[in-house]
Amino acid sequence: MSTATFELAIAGTLAEELQRRMRRRTKALIWATATIAVLWFTAAQIGLNPIALAKGIPFMADFFSRMFPPDLTHLPLLRDATVETIQIAVWGTLIAILLSVPFALLGAKNTTPHPIVFHATRLFLNALRAINELVFALIFVAAVGLGPFAGVLAIALHATGMLAKFCAEEIEGVDRGPIEAMQAAGAGRLQVILFGIVPQVIPAFISYSIYRFDVSIRAATILGLVGAGGLGFSLIKTMKLFKYHETATCILVIFVIVLISDWVCARVRARIL
Amino acid sequence: MNAPMIEVKPMISIRGLSKTYAGGVRALNNVSIDVAPGEFLVILGPSGAGKSTLLRCINRLVEPSQGQVFHNGTEITGHRSDLRAIRRQFGMVFQQFNLVKRLSVLVNVLAGRLGYRSVLRSLFYSFPEADKRIAIECLARVNMEHKAFQRADTLSGGEQQRVAIARALAQQPTVILADEPVASLDPKIARQVLGYLRQVAQELGITVLCNLHQVDYAKEFSERVVGMSRGSVVFEGASSELTDEVLHRIYYREPGETVKEEA
Repeated sequence: MSTATFELAIAGTLAEELQRRMRRRTKALIWATATIAVLWFTAAQIGLNPIALAKGIPFMADFFSRMFPPDLTHLPLLRDATVETIQIAVWGTLIAILLSVPFALLGAKNTTPHPIVFHATRLFLNALRAINELVFALIFVAAVGLGPFAGVLAIALHATGMLAKFCAEEIEGVDRGPIEAMQAAGAGRLQVILFGIVPQVIPAFISYSIYRFDVSIRAATILGLVGAGGLGFSLIKTMKLFKYHETATCILVIFVIVLISDWVCARVRARIL
Repeated sequence: MNAPMIEVKPMISIRGLSKTYAGGVRALNNVSIDVAPGEFLVILGPSGAGKSTLLRCINRLVEPSQGQVFHNGTEITGHRSDLRAIRRQFGMVFQQFNLVKRLSVLVNVLAGRLGYRSVLRSLFYSFPEADKRIAIECLARVNMEHKAFQRADTLSGGEQQRVAIARALAQQPTVILADEPVASLDPKIARQVLGYLRQVAQELGITVLCNLHQVDYAKEFSERVVGMSRGSVVFEGASSELTDEVLHRIYYREPGETVKEEA
């Protein structure tokens, strides 16, 4: 290449770079303007108003002052509800872990027996995740009556939706090499899954399960709002009876449980992985 | 092309094998090869020549579009009879080793026995004593028994490939299909691994079909070479006959021809 054509090629590429940069900048400007316009309109619609917030501060202060100090004599009465909250989370998560394994296998492109099964499973899992635990709890309270069992079922279903989807995506992301090796050795479908796929996804699955238990604890603390057992029931009861000092105790206990669960889950995860 | 005189019945006999992939890529074009029992045959050719497809058509990880493959005189193509029984006859060794990284070396080798074992038993990751014996024996053949309880991902590349060879041996196969077994290894380790492969095959009387793209290794490790280019066999003969003219025939590409990397 002669020096002249060399220089020409460089100049050409430089010019194109400039052109591309300008085009990118124009595009970014248009998107930014559109986004700001939409957000502004939305804020007006939902009445996002800093002045209203400022005016509300005295009322909030009043509310908190009625809660303060927490009535610690109420604490022993919360013992059973606290234990129940943890029990709901443990059983809900455990059932979800067991249910999510088959659904993950049916809902992963590389292990599903048929594309129709794959799409049906994913649709079902999306539905489970779309419906909040509280909504499930309302349904199950109607079905199996007031109490912790409704809470367990609510958490189990919602958590299955999440765990199975995460696990299915993990299955789809495995290294194909070992799978091919198992097939070449004459392994059957289930053997390929057991030896080629399971060892690859197990660390992530355990990690998701621990995280999900943490989320379940938090969910279990409010399920009582709709009568599905646990601390939520004490929370709503004391509030309705205007016993705000006791409400504060409930909130305090919930806060401590979540803190402990967070700490324990972090420790367990570090230990296992 | 002067095919060697084969007096004994061939272990593998490939007749008019063709493969066209769903996208219309013609990977194999009317390939016919005979491989004698106990032979170490090298299939030489550039990337995209169809070598991988050829091996995978033999154990039917890929279904051929046309043609037949005979194993010890029995046709193994065209009918869906017992794929497991067919596949366990063929040990396979891969370019990327394909071990399960989180499992121990021993369990990886035991996986070579899966073709013989029931699903129910596999459910508990348990194997009969006899299988464990076989697996450890195979590890000893590649001098890896001292690492039996280490996790596979703690091994070096050469060690992993030796374990992969042990896994193939654990199938007690009559044939080993080695697909670019040393392409990811440095030359020193590559020679060592090919040495193990040839040695155990000789000791156990196993027939080996080994894909390679390096001419040096082909000359060094095999007596007979099949040269492939663009899905067809373009050479078949002794490795001493790999002249410049022959190599040109194997590795020549039309100007502007693009290469699709083999998986």
